[in-house]
This record gives sequence, C-alpha cells and structure tokens, in this order.
Amino acid sequence: MDTSNPAVFVNAELLQFYVGRRVRAVMQVVRSEGGVVIGKSTDEKQLVVKGPPPPAPLTNFVEVIGIVDNDRSIRAEIWTNFGNVIDMFSYNKLCQLANGEFKHLFV
Amino acid sequence: MPVNLTAHAIPAIVAGDVNSKPLLQVLEIKLISNSKQQERYRLLLSDAVSSQHAMLATQLNDRVTTGHVKKGSIVQLIEYICSPIQNRKIVVVLNMETIIPECEIIGNPISFVESDLPSQGGSLSNTMQNLSKSSYYQLPPQNTSYNVENFQLPPKNASSYVQNSRPTVQTAYKPPPVYKGQGAILRNEAPSRVIPISALNPYQGRWAIKARVTAKGDLRRYNNARGDGKVFSFDLLDSEGGEIRVTCFNAVVDRFYDAIEVGRVYLISKGSLKPAQKNFNHLKNDWEILLESTSTVELFPEEDGSIPKQQFSFKPINDIENVDNNSILDVIGVVTSVNPSVPILRKNGMETQKRILNLKDWTGRSVELTLWGEFCNKEGKNLQEMVDAGLFPILAVKAGKVNDFSGKSIGTISATQFFINPDFPEARSLREWFDRVGKDSASLSISKDIIPGGSKNDVRKTLSQIKDEGLGRSDKPDWITVRAAVSFIKTDSFCYTACPLKIGERQCNKKVTKSGNSRWQCDRCNQEFDECDYRFLLQAQILDHTGIAWVTAFQETGEEIMGFSAKELYLLKHEQEDDEKFIGIIKSRLFNEFVLRLKIKEELYGDEQRLKITVAKADKVDYSSECKYVLDLISKFGRQ
Repeated sequence: MDTSNPAVFVNAELLQFYVGRRVRAVMQVVRSEGGVVIGKSTDEKQLVVKGPPPPAPLTNFVEVIGIVDNDRSIRAEIWTNFGNVIDMFSYNKLCQLANGEFKHLFV
Repeated sequence: MPVNLTAHAIPAIVAGDVNSKPLLQVLEIKLISNSKQQERYRLLLSDAVSSQHAMLATQLNDRVTTGHVKKGSIVQLIEYICSPIQNRKIVVVLNMETIIPECEIIGNPISFVESDLPSQGGSLSNTMQNLSKSSYYQLPPQNTSYNVENFQLPPKNASSYVQNSRPTVQTAYKPPPVYKGQGAILRNEAPSRVIPISALNPYQGRWAIKARVTAKGDLRRYNNARGDGKVFSFDLLDSEGGEIRVTCFNAVVDRFYDAIEVGRVYLISKGSLKPAQKNFNHLKNDWEILLESTSTVELFPEEDGSIPKQQFSFKPINDIENVDNNSILDVIGVVTSVNPSVPILRKNGMETQKRILNLKDWTGRSVELTLWGEFCNKEGKNLQEMVDAGLFPILAVKAGKVNDFSGKSIGTISATQFFINPDFPEARSLREWFDRVGKDSASLSISKDIIPGGSKNDVRKTLSQIKDEGLGRSDKPDWITVRAAVSFIKTDSFCYTACPLKIGERQCNKKVTKSGNSRWQCDRCNQEFDECDYRFLLQAQILDHTGIAWVTAFQETGEEIMGFSAKELYLLKHEQEDDEKFIGIIKSRLFNEFVLRLKIKEELYGDEQRLKITVAKADKVDYSSECKYVLDLISKFGRQ
C-alpha cells in the first residue's frame, strides 16, 4: 500500500485545516459545468472541485482525492464513483472521528 | 303504653305447646357459667300472670350482650321447646324477636308451678337446703313484704335471685340444663360461617365459602399403582376476588360432577385444604380444596351479583415479550387473522389439531395464539368465520401459556378459556381503539423474529464471546446476532431429500427414502412420489474479527447464504456433475458478510455436550445501519 502521499478524510468543515494538503472527500454531485463540478459535502456545504472530470459519467456520489485550494475547493487528481446510494451521515462521522479522537489511527 | 302479653302463655308452654308464638316479657336475665359448657343466659319470662325460667340458646347470646333483650323487654318467642328433665320442665328459647326493648313490668306475675309437680323436696340439690321451706309456697300475688324475709338467706349455688320490688317466688331449683343431644347446638348443625376464600387454610375450623364456578374441568380417568380412579376439578371465585381450585376423586366425583355448573354460585363446606399443585393449578392460591364424602355443596338458586363471573388480569401484548417461558397469563386482543387447522403429530404419537391466529392490542404489538385440540374445532372455527366475514372479534383468553420458540407466542392448555366479544370494560375500550385507530395501524409481532433495520432489539455479540461467556449452557437457548462472514462450507452433504407434500399450510419436509429406483417414499405422509424436494442442511464455518464458529443453516438461511436453491446446487453437482462450476459457486460465496441471528444451545450427543448453533436468520449487511451501530460503539468506547 502506497502511503507516501496519504489523503486525509475530510468534509467541508475540515478543508480549511488542510489547505495545500492532499485530502479525500465524498460529495453528492449537484452539477457539472465547464471544468468544475459543484457538489454537496457530507456536512451539507457546497464544494467546488476543479480539474478535469473523468471521461466516464459521474454517479450521484463521488469521492475526490486532491489538493485543497481554499476552504471551499479542491483541485482534483483522482475521481472515484461511489454509486448512487451512500450514507452521508456515517461518512461525516468518520471524518470527524478520523480527525478528532482517532487521528492517531490514521496515516 | 300498655301491651297485652299473650294470656296464659306460660302454662301453655309448660304444658307442651310450642307452636304458638307468644308475646312475653323478660323479667330477669342471669348469666350462668359452667366450666364445662359455654356461657348461657337464663331468662325469666312472664305472661303478666305467671313467670317461668327459660334458657336462651347460645346462638342468641348476642341479643343479651348487645342489649336487644334486657330486663323488661317484650319479646315474641318464635322457636322454643319445653322438655321434661328430672321432673322439671325446661324451656329453651331457640329464636325470638324483641318487640319492645324497654317496658315497665306488666302485671304481677308469679312463678308458675305445674299442678301435678311432684314434691319438690326430692329433686332439690343440696344447695337449696339453705332456703327455708316457706319460700317454696305459692303465695298470693298481692303480698309484698311477706316474702322479703325469706330471701334474706340467698342460697349459695342456687340459680336463683332476689327481686326486691315485686313479689315473686323462687321456682324450684333447676339443675344446669342437660340437653342430651336435643338442642341444635349440640349436634353442631349450626351453619358454618361463610368466610372469604383468601382466608382458607388447613388450620381453619369449620368453614364455608360462597363462590361462583368459573371453570369446570373434564372428568378424567387415571390408572396408577393403587388402581383405577377418576378425578375432576373446578375453580371458584368469590365476591372478594379470591380464587381456589376444588378437586374430587372417585366416589365424590359421582356426587358432584353433574351438580356443578359453570357460572352458578354454590355454598361449599367441610372440604379439606391441601397445598395447591402448581403444575396444574394456576390460580393464585397456595391451597386447593379436596372434597370428601362429608363435604357439602349447595346451589344458590338466586343470582348473587356480588360475585363476579370471571376474574382476569390481562397482560398487554408488549409486556408479554418480557414474560418467562411457560408462564400462564390472561390476554385480550382483536383477532386479526385465523389460519386453517393443521393436523400435528405429538410426541406421544397422538395426532391433534393446531391452528394459529393473531391477536393485536392497543400497545401496537401483535402475538400469535396457537389453538390446540378442541379449541381448533369449536372456538377456532367460530373465530375464522367471523374474521372471514370481515368482523374482527375481540377475544379474551384466560390461562394461556407463553411459549418462546420463535419470539413469544401463546398456546392454549387444558385450563384455557376463551371469551369471544365479552362484555368487559377492557373489551369495550379495545373495540373502540380498534374501530378508531387499530384496524389500520400496523403492529409489530412479538412472535416472529422481525429485526427492524436500524434498531437492534437483539443482542449483538462477537463470535469469541460465545465461548467466553459460555452461551448456550443454560436451560434455554441463547439468541444472539453477529456480523460475520462465511469462511467454509461443507460440500459433502449440504442438502437432503425432502417430502414436498403439504400438510395444511406447511410442507411436510421430512426426509424421504428411496423406494425402488426412481421413486421416493415419505413415512409421515405415507405416500410415494417421483420428484422430491431438496432442502438445505448446510454445515458452515463463520468468522468475524474475534474468532470462528461452526453453524448449521437450514433451507431459508441456506438459500440466503448460498444465493442458489438447494435443488440447483444438487443438480449441478450430482446430475450435471459439473464440479468446476459447483466449486466456483461455493468459493464465490465465501467471505460474504451477513448479519446472522444465531440460536445457541448445548446439547447432549451421546456422552458429550456439544454446542449446537443454528442460523435462524441470515441478512445481507446493511452498511448504513451497521455504520451507525459501529459509530455508536465507538462513541461508547471513547468514553472509557
């Protein structure tokens, strides 16, 4: 497993702490325009993801791995389709725990 | 105000007339105590002309003690006797009524002496010798002072007394009354006091209870070491709500079996009290009554409104979930569905009928009620017709038995009673609820293991906990839920050949044997057929992050785990003999995670105890709810 470039589990709220760092976030795709995808984060905030979307069509929920631009946008490197059904709440909780109590468990 | 006492009443009584109900006046009352007998009162009764002593029957003692009868009272004798004892006439008053409690002495009565009385000297006791003879002379009524002197020497033991203000003569001394088995009191025929059932105990003296028959058992014949016998029991309820069972054996059965009717009120007395047999007797009483040849059972023809017809303590269905297995309870609910009867083979080889119906109540829960035997045919049929017609009857069940085979359900026993659409307040409020809300509302069944999505009302464990906590070792099986993956499936015999015929609503499913070359035979249905059914009997190993366990999965759970029907797999392996494909399928099913509900019980196999784990339900993992569950665990973990 390649741990050289770990991505932190984040939601919109946590983005601000990781500006310039590599993160991963799950979001619900709201719309795609030009080279930008607007999505809703797991804690109900708007996310702007820059960078070319993958050629394949995006499903409802997508995981984006990339570098944080500012506290609302990510420059995407990897897109992963997460399907159409996901438990946003659980993911959100995961983000909170991974960055809070159990930070030590994560790379 | 002047009252006319019955003229010549005293002579008449002494002469033997005990049928007139004379009006007399009580001149004196004296308490006679004899260490051998009870306290007795002796009255001096007068008809205004003559006076005569009379003994008061002890059951009337309270009349004197409460002051109903006192000196000067005008009374009417209702029941009385006059018996000659030792040349004296002894009068005993058995029943009388006080007409006027207080009155001045009427007339100038003198002691009545029968004309043909033999000489009084001979029958006097020693104590009388203190009196001078002149006191026995009959004196004319008018003399007053004359007698006073004679009374200055009061005799010691004589039951006589002094009256200072009016002239009376001592009657001849009467020895303490000897009844020689004549008075009602001696024969102890006085009615026993009615006491509440709750006060009954074996140390109670004569008792009587007045109660209504709430249940009448069947006449049962038995055979034991002592020979043949017959027995029957019935249950009683009294006005205080006390209940007790009454049992009769052999000859006593003949006396009472026909006389006892459910719903009638009886007065029962002279039975013996024995400890209640809790196995058969579910009434709330430590004792039960055994009737014997000397017992009495008397029917009360009139209705006694103070005694209720039945006593119930209904348990709401949601509480039944927490009740112990095999306990007896009452329940009331609306019948929402009735299934047809199915014949069932019992352990002793006898066949009986079984019918399932569903009861729903205002707690939002429903429970399965299993009818056995006769209940299927009578009440069961009745209820089915009602439900089919669209009516949803209210059913009250008394003495149903809780069974925890799959969830909690209630079954009938011999003592169970059904009341369809009864007239109780609970029934009425239940009907109201149902008509308004209940009939459209869904209800959760406590009889089926429905595990709702997110809410885990069952116990979650890990596989290592099975061993650590020694699950399955107690009398009842342990039910747990685990999230585990299947790590190995035994492929040698993963299914068996089953009988496809239906018995009622269920498939027979008994293992069938080959008969001939291509046909199958079922022993239970006693039939042969060409095609048999294939049902899963999987032995698999499951594992989670803590450990492993071996489990058995039957048809439904087998299908869930395998993803294919048993028949398909069987054909694939044995007829098409496509091993590769078969193994491929098996492999693909490994390491699939499921949420499994397990039944764990230790059972004796030959000599050793083995832990038997059955998969009762296999569900695909719902990750969302699993996440929530785990998150919950994490939050609890974090707070350590």
